[in-house]
Amino acid sequence: MNRYLYDGTADGLLSAIAWILEEEPDPEQVALAERQDTLFEDGFFLATDAIQAEDLFFRLRQHAPDAAHTLYSFMLAEKDGMESSLLHYIALAFIHGDKVNGYLTHPAVRDIVGIAKKAGRELHRLKGLLRFEKLRDGAYLAKMEPDHNIIHPLAYHFSRRLRAQHWFLYDVRRRTAARWNQGTLQFGTIEQFTAPALSDDEKKVQALWQIFFKTIAIPDRKNPRLQKSNMPMKYWKYLTEKQGE
Amino acid sequence: MDILSKLQILSGAARYDASCASSGSKREGPACVTGNTSSSGICHSWADDGRCISLLKILLSNDCQYDCAYCVNRSSNFVERASFTAREVVDLTLDFYRRNYIEGLFLSSAVMGSPDKTMERMVRVAETLRTEEQFGGYIHLKIIPGSSSELVRKAGLYADRISVNIELPSQASLQRLAPQKHKEAILAPMALIGREIASSLVERKTSRHAPRFAPAGQSTQMIIGASPENDFQILRLSQGLYKKMQLKRVYYSAYMPVSDDNRLPVLAAPPLLREHRLYQADWLLRFYGFSAEEILSDDAPNLDESFDPKSAWALRHPEFFPVEINRADYGTLLRVPGIGVTSAKRIITARRFSAITPEGMKKIGVVMKRAKYFITCSGRSFEKTDRPAALLRQQLLLGESPVPARSTQLVIPGIFS
Repeated sequence: MNRYLYDGTADGLLSAIAWILEEEPDPEQVALAERQDTLFEDGFFLATDAIQAEDLFFRLRQHAPDAAHTLYSFMLAEKDGMESSLLHYIALAFIHGDKVNGYLTHPAVRDIVGIAKKAGRELHRLKGLLRFEKLRDGAYLAKMEPDHNIIHPLAYHFSRRLRAQHWFLYDVRRRTAARWNQGTLQFGTIEQFTAPALSDDEKKVQALWQIFFKTIAIPDRKNPRLQKSNMPMKYWKYLTEKQGE
Repeated sequence: MDILSKLQILSGAARYDASCASSGSKREGPACVTGNTSSSGICHSWADDGRCISLLKILLSNDCQYDCAYCVNRSSNFVERASFTAREVVDLTLDFYRRNYIEGLFLSSAVMGSPDKTMERMVRVAETLRTEEQFGGYIHLKIIPGSSSELVRKAGLYADRISVNIELPSQASLQRLAPQKHKEAILAPMALIGREIASSLVERKTSRHAPRFAPAGQSTQMIIGASPENDFQILRLSQGLYKKMQLKRVYYSAYMPVSDDNRLPVLAAPPLLREHRLYQADWLLRFYGFSAEEILSDDAPNLDESFDPKSAWALRHPEFFPVEINRADYGTLLRVPGIGVTSAKRIITARRFSAITPEGMKKIGVVMKRAKYFITCSGRSFEKTDRPAALLRQQLLLGESPVPARSTQLVIPGIFS
């Protein structure tokens, strides 16, 4: 079995996969891992080539759009140690096209599709659970701590939804931020975050939402277990309706 | 009265409406300054009863002329009354929407004055949101039975979904418990909405700019357990509504004791399990190719509380099983307990690559705990599939071991209490 290494970046991963698919007759027999720079590391290092990485993604998108979408979602998960599975998955996608996602009895397909699904699920969840607060200058700010690095697709979703507003998304753990203002979307990192002042009516609106949240539940049907399984407690920290619980 | 108290009264009065869907509509583009709709729908929160919150669900008013026995807002009930102005609802909706609390507005109302007057005020809210504020989010409007067809048409043009509540499963119960409501006044707008949706779809095929009429379709709701109808009657009614009126959803709402009126049954607890079984049967009607007559019959008119309706059907039809996973078609796979729409589709695609093995079944997501009694995998069976029905019932109910495993933990009574 041939063993290859790459530098740990997303571009490096994709360009390594592109190289292997080109040169290796049977990618199923090849392993790929991130270089650790230990003394006795065994494997052939493949240099990063951003153009080749991009080219691989476009070719995959043309050949199997669903698989390209799965690849995109998988990359949001920032999972380590699954490079070989991803290599095998992409090799299969070029053979079978979009049908590859139905090949769930293949371990690599199941792993990659499973992780991509999880990332997609969190993205969908946060489209609902994200909470904006209105700031004194009229802009809106939403803070979050998602498991997956979903700020890009999430910001895209809100750029179509809240087009007339000036807003920020802030990923507290990764220190990344997105900003939408008058039709342009920007991404960046925030080294030092200071909480800005809220607008005067913000607390009033939040109180209205909290009252609504309380009274909309039917007391005879109380079911905290169901509530938690739909809305895991890890998201409660930034939920307006769950403050002070 | 301040807006906080109004919201408390009017959301509390609206919570018995089950519908909270925000799916099925795609509204997007430069005409929408605030908001769009997502065709898959988005849930924004889950209330303490575990039900999802995706819409700001409120009544415009709870000041009702009618006196329906099952309803909290009936005129003879002593509750605090309140009404919103159109502006208040619009501002609330926008304030909540901009903070991503909600997907849109669900607006219903008690009957103030006359059905037409009420409906007109409700439609005005939707109109203000759409035309003045260019709101592109989801709007669900309740139709008040007895309002004019002109208003129903207008409602359908502004809303994504409109619905008329059927309330009770038969005319007799309606007469007894809601004497001011009539079956005709409920079914007429339903039929009208169905026709308008159909013709708008035809028009939109020829012109992209033709107006959309209730793009997310219509739904209805009925109360379960407040009247004596059996499940078979209810399911046949739903089946008729799906087939003849093209409804998107029928919601079932377990009767919550909100009144001690002697026309209503006294329940120890709300019939939540019955509601759950009805929803399962409803899914069988809509997605699994079952008919009401297959699920229930005049001899057994109520759903089994201990089994889901599909397992119950499978137990009555041993001749249908075992099903061979690697050969059966989609419709047959769907009838196996433990195989749902998703896993049936996965089985079909996975077996194009290679025959499915027993281990593969688990990976695909089949609930083997139930399915193993009803399937074979390339001719191999998991369990003896010819066991007597009584034993099968017992094993489905209790799992593998009918005798619970003996605990090896030393238990001294009272030590931890």
